[in-house]
Amino acid sequence: MSERTRNIASVAVIAVMSVALLLLTSTQPATSDRVQQIGTRIKCPVCQGESIANSPSQMAEDMMDLVSERVSSGVPDQQIIDELLGSYTGAVLLDPPASGNTLVLWVAPVVALAVGIAMILWWRRHPGPSADDATAPGKSRTRLVIGGVALVLAFAGIVAVAANSLQDRPAAAAGAADIDEQDLSEVSNETMEAVIAANVEDPQINGMRLALAERYFDSGDYRSAFPHYLVVAEDPNATGAEAITALVRLGWMAYDGNGEVETATRLIDEALAIDPGSAVARYVRARVLWCGAGETDQAIETFEELLTDPELATETRTQIEADLEIANDGGGECP
Amino acid sequence: MLAFLGSAGVIAALIGSILLVVRGIRGARGGQSDLRAPGKLVLAGAVISMVAMQIALLNDDFSLAYVANHHSSATPFPFDVATAWAALEGSIILWGLVLAVFTWVVVRQASDRLGSAAVAVMAGVGVFFFGLMITVANPFEVCVDALATGCAASTAWPFTAADVPVNGPGPNPLLQNHFLMAVHPPVLYIGYVGLTVPFAYAIGALALGVPGPEWLRRSHRSTLVAWSFLTLGITLGGWWAYEVLSWGGYWAWDPVENASLMPWLAATAFIHSGLVQQRRGMLQAWNFVLVISAFALTILGTFLTRSGTINSVHSFTQSAIGPALLGFLVLVLVGSFTLFAMRSHLVASSPRIETFVSREGTFLVNNLLLTVYAFVVLIGTTYPLLLEAFTGTQVGVGEPFFNRLAVPLSFMLLLTMGFGPVTPWRGAPTGLLWRRLRWPTIVALASGLVVALTVTRVAWVILAIVLGVFVAAAIGGLLLEFAGARKAKSGLSLYQEARTVIGNDQSFWAGQLSHIGVVLVAIGIAFAANLPLHTEVELAPGESVEFAGYTLTYDAPFRRDEPNRVVQGVRVEVSRDDRIITVLEPSANFYDTEMGGIITPAVMSRPSGDLYLTLRNLDSETVQLGLDTSPMIWLLWLGGVTTAAGGFWSLAARRRDRVVEEPLVLADV
Repeated sequence: MSERTRNIASVAVIAVMSVALLLLTSTQPATSDRVQQIGTRIKCPVCQGESIANSPSQMAEDMMDLVSERVSSGVPDQQIIDELLGSYTGAVLLDPPASGNTLVLWVAPVVALAVGIAMILWWRRHPGPSADDATAPGKSRTRLVIGGVALVLAFAGIVAVAANSLQDRPAAAAGAADIDEQDLSEVSNETMEAVIAANVEDPQINGMRLALAERYFDSGDYRSAFPHYLVVAEDPNATGAEAITALVRLGWMAYDGNGEVETATRLIDEALAIDPGSAVARYVRARVLWCGAGETDQAIETFEELLTDPELATETRTQIEADLEIANDGGGECP
Repeated sequence: MLAFLGSAGVIAALIGSILLVVRGIRGARGGQSDLRAPGKLVLAGAVISMVAMQIALLNDDFSLAYVANHHSSATPFPFDVATAWAALEGSIILWGLVLAVFTWVVVRQASDRLGSAAVAVMAGVGVFFFGLMITVANPFEVCVDALATGCAASTAWPFTAADVPVNGPGPNPLLQNHFLMAVHPPVLYIGYVGLTVPFAYAIGALALGVPGPEWLRRSHRSTLVAWSFLTLGITLGGWWAYEVLSWGGYWAWDPVENASLMPWLAATAFIHSGLVQQRRGMLQAWNFVLVISAFALTILGTFLTRSGTINSVHSFTQSAIGPALLGFLVLVLVGSFTLFAMRSHLVASSPRIETFVSREGTFLVNNLLLTVYAFVVLIGTTYPLLLEAFTGTQVGVGEPFFNRLAVPLSFMLLLTMGFGPVTPWRGAPTGLLWRRLRWPTIVALASGLVVALTVTRVAWVILAIVLGVFVAAAIGGLLLEFAGARKAKSGLSLYQEARTVIGNDQSFWAGQLSHIGVVLVAIGIAFAANLPLHTEVELAPGESVEFAGYTLTYDAPFRRDEPNRVVQGVRVEVSRDDRIITVLEPSANFYDTEMGGIITPAVMSRPSGDLYLTLRNLDSETVQLGLDTSPMIWLLWLGGVTTAAGGFWSLAARRRDRVVEEPLVLADV
């Protein structure tokens, strides 16, 4: 076979295989996982830079569930994304659109590529001063000026950023304050989660944390409530009342959720160490021991003692009275 | 006592660095000065400070605030050792130690003006970092106000603690959850800090007005060391993320990851363009730009990840390290480029490039692509920060943005990688490229067809296979061609001749090994990113589920108390065809510090890919599990290690090559 024939044969083989590959890959139906794809485009509101597809957090999971629900009911991508961005504060699109203030993100790399190509072509034609005339400084004046201007710009930019970042940023903190003044009942759990996440460092956030935790607690969602109570309980800046509420709730959840009587009493004892007279703490402690360890007599004693307190809140009083009745009623099976 | 010892070490290193700057400058001006004595002082001081920290950690000496806040007596080996670089102040000790070693390397070869100037620059960087250690990031402060676990307030002086806590909280649980975290930072730091050496030589060369290839030759080995370790460090980082972060991924375009990728891209471009200058005398100015950028990017990366700018704008003000690093970055950029501009009349360019169809032509394309790549990563990482700093507007830039730009760039780089090695310097004779690339093209397309017909028809995967095989086949074909030509003359076996060919130009072939590593990475990513399976299941004990050809049976929950943590998880039997292959234990690990457990995946590796189980929820009746596959993911780890191995191998070759190296083509200039 002559060289020429071999060349023609090679070209033919390459052409045929290329066409075959193109056909094979282009007829491949799109099997891409839409749920996953949408997930990678949304930033998880309570995490640091992770998308909801990649974050193990409860909130991200909930959002992913929502996505897969919408996908299976045939809602278009953009609509799902809009819904997520609208209903979750702090959720951000990780796929910046090629418009508005993110247009530059898409344009700049293309410009960089074009400038690079232009520079290479220009350099090909004008290879610059050679070693012979390199010592003549006059030639580089233009370059010097361009370099200087670029430097000044870079410097100004960096200084401006630094100055801006160095100022404490009141914006985020103000967000929390605004919400504090609002009636929390109108704020969604997700919003509260996001605000709390954004203001972790702010000691005043404990109030909102507790409110949110109470909400989870009331709805029986111990798992979501737990971390918030825990943060408050461990926070040295929390007020005594906040810490007591958190510790007592943690204690009750330890008993009610996991049946851990010992942990429960230990936690409540910590609350009692802060304020030995706390009626709620004493009541819950007695109730845990009654229901968890069968100490009916001791519970009756505590309940009766608590009821002697004239300042006891009516709601608590009714609850204790009801419990006392059951406890006194023969068997003493706790409700 | 240890506070005193450690501080003494830091101060010694600082004094040594200042002496080195002074003497280095004197040497650069042509004077005689002893650099070795202060060089030894820097090294000894840095070693002493690290040793002091290690003794404190191993002996649970909680009088040191750093130990009190980042260590716990329950922290097991090797995490107690690694705690030394698990937080900011400690990691700067490691940074200083690595810098001291590299400085010593430069001191040892500083027998002339260029070497002395480079020493002065290295030591100047040292003054900054050791200065940080006695001011804003002092790792040897002693505790004056102890908490139950940890230390609330500390002071540098005097060296005895007023209040010593009984115990500490231990390092960040994410960092003590896997042994990789013990080795990943030192490896990465050698990479980052190593890039100071070519930077120092570049600045020295500019200051002395000798922009010729000498500075490249002198810093070449250190550049290769830095690049190889950086490669290894990035690979280990991806592996750590995969093993610890429980979402089955290895790369999320996280700012911390980007911070390591940017200098790597710049350094990779520099290694190639440095070759062009050494061989053809071209790209002198460009090499200065690249090496200054690479160094500045390491500082920028350190700033982004260590100042807290990324995680929260609030923490920025809490530590003065952010402004200090930013100031240093500005100093480096402004100082370097001013010097560059002042010397630009000396920076001769080259003979004009004859043709783009030449090795130097492909290197130009490679440099253009790598630079744009680095620019994409830079703008994607910093733009959201800049926008928020200026306007307060929050925008997210994540995976979708980076993937859309980085994937095409990566494929173009792969294509260039096929052409580069087979294209001769100065230009290829007509028909040479066709002869050399004909078979690689046919083999590559055939491989693509085989994969398309048997495994998958997903376009990205096929493209990665075709380009990857093209690169590998081009390299293999070149070796065969050279060895075949020798065999025809000598009559020895092809294998023997191939060994001789490689031995004669080992650094070139080592580079090709790195290229093959990159090919493996590309194919690994293509498979793992495009063909994974994912599902969520809820199982009761004894229940089974079929997934990816395996039968997974929920055996039972378990709880294991370990010294520093409680591991709570489930045992899942993995079987195929009624034979149990292994038992996996996805778990949540509870550390003293963190109340929510660290979700830790369980991974079974097979040649076809990994099975990856993640615990989602566990209650008394059922368990919810995330099931994932990562097809061919091992290619990614193997590829990363191979790429780094190419760098190390080239390093081993360097000394021998120098003897047979053809004279540098300076005659062109």
